[in-house]
Amino acid sequence: MKRDSPLSTLDSRLFFVPLIGAAILVAFTLVSLPWKENLFRRPRTIFDRSAASAVAPGYALVAAAVPVIPAGATVVVRTEPRDPIAETYYHRFADALLPGRRALPASFYGRFAPPEVSRDAAYVLIVGAKPAEPPGRLLLETPEGTVWETPPRR
Amino acid sequence: MTGLLWLASLLLVGLSGLPLLLHRAFAGYPLSTRLVLAGASGAALVSFAMTAAVLLGIPWNVPGLVAAGAVLAAGLRLFLKPALVFAADAPRPPEPGEAPRVLAAAALSLIAVGAALGATFAGAATSPDLLFFWGPKAQQFALARTFDAAFMRDEFHQHMHAYYPPLVTNLGAFASMAAGRMSWTGATLTFPLLLVFLAAGLPGALADRLGRAHAAAIAALTIAVISCLGVEADIAGNGEMPLLLFETLAIALLISDAAAEPPTQLIAGILLAGAAATKVEGLPFTISAAALFFLARPRASRPFWPAAGRLILPAAVMLSAWFAFGASRRIFFGYSGYGTLFDLHLDHARVVLAAVGRSLSAAGHALPWLVPLGCVLAALPLTRRWILPVGTAAILTAFFLFTYIHRPEDPSLWISWSAARIFSPVAMLLALAASLGSRGEPRPASP
Repeated sequence: MKRDSPLSTLDSRLFFVPLIGAAILVAFTLVSLPWKENLFRRPRTIFDRSAASAVAPGYALVAAAVPVIPAGATVVVRTEPRDPIAETYYHRFADALLPGRRALPASFYGRFAPPEVSRDAAYVLIVGAKPAEPPGRLLLETPEGTVWETPPRR
Repeated sequence: MTGLLWLASLLLVGLSGLPLLLHRAFAGYPLSTRLVLAGASGAALVSFAMTAAVLLGIPWNVPGLVAAGAVLAAGLRLFLKPALVFAADAPRPPEPGEAPRVLAAAALSLIAVGAALGATFAGAATSPDLLFFWGPKAQQFALARTFDAAFMRDEFHQHMHAYYPPLVTNLGAFASMAAGRMSWTGATLTFPLLLVFLAAGLPGALADRLGRAHAAAIAALTIAVISCLGVEADIAGNGEMPLLLFETLAIALLISDAAAEPPTQLIAGILLAGAAATKVEGLPFTISAAALFFLARPRASRPFWPAAGRLILPAAVMLSAWFAFGASRRIFFGYSGYGTLFDLHLDHARVVLAAVGRSLSAAGHALPWLVPLGCVLAALPLTRRWILPVGTAAILTAFFLFTYIHRPEDPSLWISWSAARIFSPVAMLLALAASLGSRGEPRPASP
């Protein structure tokens, strides 16, 4: 019995070459997933296993601070020890994660900002170790850092 | 839960595109392709409605914006003749052995989407840019129910690039208004969500010329390229995925036989406008794709002026509205550059080329570019239509290198975190070019 005419060699090449290309890329993508970091465990932050995972602690602390910082408040995020690049990131995170508050930069574009820029911040978030000199009243402590309410300025 | 609601609300913008895509001129497309084209067109139209509402001083609300987008789509529908016969109206008869081939390709696309979803869920594909500017602007605009000019002018918000085109922040604001607040997880999940839409819609956009099996294979390659790049270059929540959605669908339509039809050109024009309203580099993409269409498809693009209008006017109108906002509030008057236009730092050329090479190599050993390039070479000789995707890729590459060489300071660090992402459309264009292997005369388009 005569079978339906098979696809031509040209048609087969036009089909199989991109299919094999897709298979190579899919296999590579699957292999590159962070299986060793327990892929299916829910991450603490959206950065945990990304190339920017170094900023995950700052994200976690700023997100955790949302309930304790009231709307309209001024806030600054510092690191301990001080790191102007990380502080630049975290100032931007505070803008994003603390809507309705005003985030003042401790550092800006990778450089320490003059202290007077953030001197009036009512709340201080410190990513890293607890500071030797507390900047005010401790409101929150997490594995990533601390949140402080500063005393009102006279 | 908020994340799901945030994501689901984005589906509402698809409703806006339905009045246009329900026109019988598009009846030849599979339902999945029609819905995806409606969604993408609706997104572009709703974004434009949001910008126009700001110019008119009307505060945003979700139902009003969906309705405004639908009215725009219905208005555009009036330009389509009711009795048009569409090229894809007569479906190809199935080829022998087609079904298993289509299934194999579809399975690969699904696995690629699954990988993107897994990486995004695991927090392995997010870029800080989501938190730096895309998300905060969307969130603030949702709270203000308009573009918040004071927020954009704030001296501490310079890093938010006030002049960046508005579509991503508009749609983020739309979803935030609908869901009640911004969802950062929801924003990252737009990467797999839009990728699955593309996987559903792309094969049907390619099938009129290629047949279902070949179209499914090219779609699988394209989806695999974007999935791999997205995971390697961390694009979740950024503008890249919407940009790639608009650009991929537009090019797929413009290299199809149906591109000779005014309705297809109109949808391609709306998609190109979406690309131009998504990221700065969407504008050179739109200009080069539209210009090269006339070079690559001289017969399909006649008569010239109406076709040019359909392809370029939507982008011109959308960007004009955006720049009118910027100028009227004295926030920006165009796209910001890095110096005088032709003040190039050619002494950086070697540094730029080396840094771009390193950046692309770091993104999956450059496989997302090399694999589709290999597929293009294997498909040689190509039909004349290759001019469109390959020419656009070449122009984009020249534009990116020009931009990098423009900067007075050493651009290595900038390139290291941006090149893989901004060169992602080049990889997608190569994947689509791989569909242009010459297989005899294309099917004749309907009159």
